[in-house]
Amino acid sequence: MIVPFAHVLLFAALLFVMGLGCALARRNLIMILIGVEIMLNAAAVALVGGSAHWRQVDGQVFVVFLMAMTSAEVAISLAMVVYLRRRRGTLEADKFDGMHG
Amino acid sequence: MNESLLFLIPLLPLTAAVLNMLFGMRLPRLVTETVAVSGVAAAFLLTLLFWGYADGEGTRATLGSWLAAAGVEVSFALHFDALAAAMTLMVTGVATLIHLYAVGYMHDEDDYARFFGLLNLFVFAMLTIVLADNLLLLFLGWEGVGLCSYGLIGFWYRQTENARAGTKAFLVTRVGDVFLAAALLWLFALTGTLEIAAINAQAAGLAPAVLTALTLLLLLGACGKSAQLPLMTWLADAMAGPTPVSALIHAATMVTAGVYLLCRLFPLVSLSPDGMAAIAVVGALTALYAATCALAQREIKRVLAYSTMSQVGYMFLAVGAGSVAGALFHLFTHAFFKAALFMAAGCVIHLAGGENNILRMGGLARRGPRELLWVFVAGALCLAGAPLTGGFFSKDAILLAAYTEGSPLFLALWGVALLTALLTAAYTFRLVYLVFAGTPRGAVDPHPLPWLMRWPLWPLVLCGLGGGLLNLPPLFGGGEWLTRRLGGLAGRAISATHDLEWALGALATGLVVLGWGLARWRYGRFRAGRDHRLGRWLLRGWGADALVEALLVRPFTAISRFCAIGCDRALVAATVDGIARQTSACGERLRLLTTGRVSTYLAAFLWGFLIMLGWFLLALVR
Repeated sequence: MIVPFAHVLLFAALLFVMGLGCALARRNLIMILIGVEIMLNAAAVALVGGSAHWRQVDGQVFVVFLMAMTSAEVAISLAMVVYLRRRRGTLEADKFDGMHG
Repeated sequence: MNESLLFLIPLLPLTAAVLNMLFGMRLPRLVTETVAVSGVAAAFLLTLLFWGYADGEGTRATLGSWLAAAGVEVSFALHFDALAAAMTLMVTGVATLIHLYAVGYMHDEDDYARFFGLLNLFVFAMLTIVLADNLLLLFLGWEGVGLCSYGLIGFWYRQTENARAGTKAFLVTRVGDVFLAAALLWLFALTGTLEIAAINAQAAGLAPAVLTALTLLLLLGACGKSAQLPLMTWLADAMAGPTPVSALIHAATMVTAGVYLLCRLFPLVSLSPDGMAAIAVVGALTALYAATCALAQREIKRVLAYSTMSQVGYMFLAVGAGSVAGALFHLFTHAFFKAALFMAAGCVIHLAGGENNILRMGGLARRGPRELLWVFVAGALCLAGAPLTGGFFSKDAILLAAYTEGSPLFLALWGVALLTALLTAAYTFRLVYLVFAGTPRGAVDPHPLPWLMRWPLWPLVLCGLGGGLLNLPPLFGGGEWLTRRLGGLAGRAISATHDLEWALGALATGLVVLGWGLARWRYGRFRAGRDHRLGRWLLRGWGADALVEALLVRPFTAISRFCAIGCDRALVAATVDGIARQTSACGERLRLLTTGRVSTYLAAFLWGFLIMLGWFLLALVR
């Protein structure tokens, strides 16, 4: 592999932090979901990198699973976003504080 | 005949009571009344029928075992001896007449079933006391009469003061009951049995100090029921009950239960000279106390209540002087004439339109029925102890017993009793003059009294007047029938020279005449007296209620309040409530953490993750 493993991990970490920052900083539900997707993909990059580095297929299997899970998650969460938007007329995450103590 | 049939005597009134209490309101009124009266009347007739069983040692009958465990052996057993038989005859006889009177008196009362049920139950309990062969059964009856007394004093419970009078009677007599229960348990611990005869037989083997303590306990128990000195405050208030109740329970029978108890246990009691002296002192002082109080009372029934207390005091004096026969003699004559007086007082109140206050009566001799005057005056003569009435002989016997006891203490008590006799005559004739003499000072409502309220008075009055024949001393040609009938139970034989008897009789007569003269001088024509301090003090019964209030009730209330406010509210409630409040305040503050916002939770995730990461890194570095 021409790309060094350290670079891959660094890239994955960078991607993760950006996703995390997006999920934390944004108040829009869709943006939070995008942040979560970015973090998941960062994890996937790290897994693929690990798989190539150790010449083990496990990491790639994990990534396939991850993709399936992510698509399912997006399907459900986008459906909920549409539902919430219909119901409450907003996607501001802080407006949904019905569980406050 | 089988001696178990003796159980019919108490069980017939019980049956009547149960019938009346369970079904009384559903039966026609006449049936309820008939059941009530016939239950008691049948007991009276049975007592007459079984009279022969009391000869000699008497008859014992056992119905069955009550308790049998761990050395305690108590059975439902009766002992029908001369003492019990005479008492049973008196109780059932007087009760029958009073039941008949009550049928007339309670004619307009709606709640008649409860009244007759309780009255019958009372007769049952009283007969249980009288006939019981063991002290536990006696105690059962003892509590039973207290319960019925409570229920009947507060019979018109819708007026709070009646209910309160009932409660007071119950509580005060209960104080005495506690002492009796203590005596009972102690006797059981000492002798291992509760049978009266066995206890009396074993009493001689007990230590003198123990005997004295036991006698004092029994005396206090008797004081509660018989309204003697420390525990007498309830009797005057007990007059809140209907008049037949006052006549039956608070004059003729229940208040004499204490005397009967001491007579029953006389072989034990008489072994303790100090105890006997205490009994006599309590009796004489109560007699004097109550007589002075009666002088100032304004309600007709309260005068009679205090006179009852006073006469029961005489009986205690007789027991203390060792003369059971004298005590019983006075008990019987007193039961007759006092029941008659109470029932006549009920008629008087009836005629005065519900007026109780004798200062607002008067003139009943001319406006009321003649017959009532005769009955009342005859009863009053007996009470005052006018010569040749029953009261004269019985009171004389007691005075003689006290005089011949010999010790200086008893001579002093004899003096007290003489003074009481003078006061008795004075307050009795005061009552007669205030009620009957002069012109009416209040409403008089002359109407014919019901037939049933008139004729039961006559047998009682005749028994009271002729009661002397029961125990006529040899001086008057009698044979002292009651003393001979009691035999070994009669206590100390009183021996006195005829001269002494004549002198004492003459002295008593002189006192009666003096008392009558005083009453006639003061009340022969009605003069409204000034309201002076002594009179008010006597009216309040020497301030006994206030004393009890100050010594017992108020400290008790204060302690209760301290416990309620100081302990319970301040200590317990404050601690528990404080902990609860602090916990909930903590919860309130912690609640703020859950904002319900996703962003907060996400941030918390991050911080938690960072801390864990830091922790692992730290561990890695080390």
